[in-house]
Amino acid sequence: MAKSDDCVHILQGLLVFGNVVIGMCGIALTAECIYIVSNPHDASPLLKATENSDIHAAAWIGIFVGLALFALSILGIIAVIKASRTLLLVYIILMLITFAFEMASSITAATHQDSLTPNVFLKQMLERYQKSESNNNSDNEVTKTWDELMRQNHCCGVNGPSDWQEYTSAFRRTHSDADYPWPRACCVLDAKGLPVNLDGCKLGVSGYYNSNGCYDAISGPVNTHAWGVAWFGFAILCWTFCVLLGTMFYWSGIEY
Amino acid sequence: RPALTQEQLLGVTTASTFVLDQPRCTFKDFGNAVIWLVVALEKDASNFNNSAGPGTPETAFQSFPGTVRAYMTLNATLDSYPCPKPAGDITVLRVGSETSCAEDESRPTCNGPLPGPGPYRVKFLALEGSVPVAETEWSMPITLRTAKSPSSIPTAGSGHSAGMIAITTILSILLAILLAALVAMLVFCGSDSCGSSTFSKPESVTVRRYNTHHVYDQRADRL
Repeated sequence: MAKSDDCVHILQGLLVFGNVVIGMCGIALTAECIYIVSNPHDASPLLKATENSDIHAAAWIGIFVGLALFALSILGIIAVIKASRTLLLVYIILMLITFAFEMASSITAATHQDSLTPNVFLKQMLERYQKSESNNNSDNEVTKTWDELMRQNHCCGVNGPSDWQEYTSAFRRTHSDADYPWPRACCVLDAKGLPVNLDGCKLGVSGYYNSNGCYDAISGPVNTHAWGVAWFGFAILCWTFCVLLGTMFYWSGIEY
Repeated sequence: RPALTQEQLLGVTTASTFVLDQPRCTFKDFGNAVIWLVVALEKDASNFNNSAGPGTPETAFQSFPGTVRAYMTLNATLDSYPCPKPAGDITVLRVGSETSCAEDESRPTCNGPLPGPGPYRVKFLALEGSVPVAETEWSMPITLRTAKSPSSIPTAGSGHSAGMIAITTILSILLAILLAALVAMLVFCGSDSCGSSTFSKPESVTVRRYNTHHVYDQRADRL
């Protein structure tokens, strides 16, 4: 009798500890997702223009899942200590529902990361940057964002300045190839915002134009956020899986 | 012979311009001559007559390549091309850089942007007055860049990364195991057939028998 009492106490202790960890992770997940939702980075108009808001959906789900995990972990601790079958059953079922939602959020974040290939931004840039006859507000946003991006990060185009030569674009329709092989923002600019050496920039003399592509500057922050939501969610779910299995075993051993 | 520049420039050829090396140390003895660049489509190069004068309607840029088969532009004296070339300087000629006079008929020697991808051939011609005194060979054919339409860019999902597939499969398996365990738990243990005496509730009280008074009473009866 004494030995099985010890087993019970050990199992209860483990389950309480598991739930404490779940509660803390829930709070951390909520905090991380609130940070992602409220902290737009420089290239977010470009993301909005791709009409791919998966990462936002995943983050919003993450906020609510985190709070649910915290509340359920408290319920779980109470249910384990009281060894009440009904409370534990409620806990298990609600946890499974939360598990399913967090799974959706995690997969969405991972898919989002995959869908933002350089080609998506390249096509958007070529079709919308400096689009002249457009009254569309989002096109102006795209132009402003690209200009800022190219000036601040000293980069040009998505893969490099040759993007502007390899493809026709809305920019090319209003700016001749001879005068503007690539936009002025791709030139090395002085303090006043004018090219240091315009002829050097047009010729493509290294040192007078930005030869890097901007894809890294765009995708870097986005990928970090998506990575955070996807993999932290995955880790929480693995831990929750173990705690739930332990809880089910505990439930099946309680006297009715 | 004239050639595309060997310098590392990104704009060596664009859609309407190209960059040549300057003809340094090529025309050594012609101090009085004016050096012109002749540009022609590859197929018309061999038909060019050296006595055609620059700045005439027969060599005007604005009518190229319609009625004019070869145009002359970028005139300079030998002083502009000192020999030898200082090391480290970038000495190039950008053909097609003047956009302001491209439609201006009064500027037939305009260095305007080229109208198509070519291929083109160029040569340098030295004129004293209107007499050709020296020339280079025709260059190799120069083809300019052609731009593709952005609708040809494939944006369809390039497939899923290993990370995403791993997350999806592992989480699906975990969820399936949990649901199966839940079903098994309810089916086998729902009707109370699992509740063993291994785990006991903390409030449950075991009833113990007290025999003390009973024994005492029996002895009192016998006495």
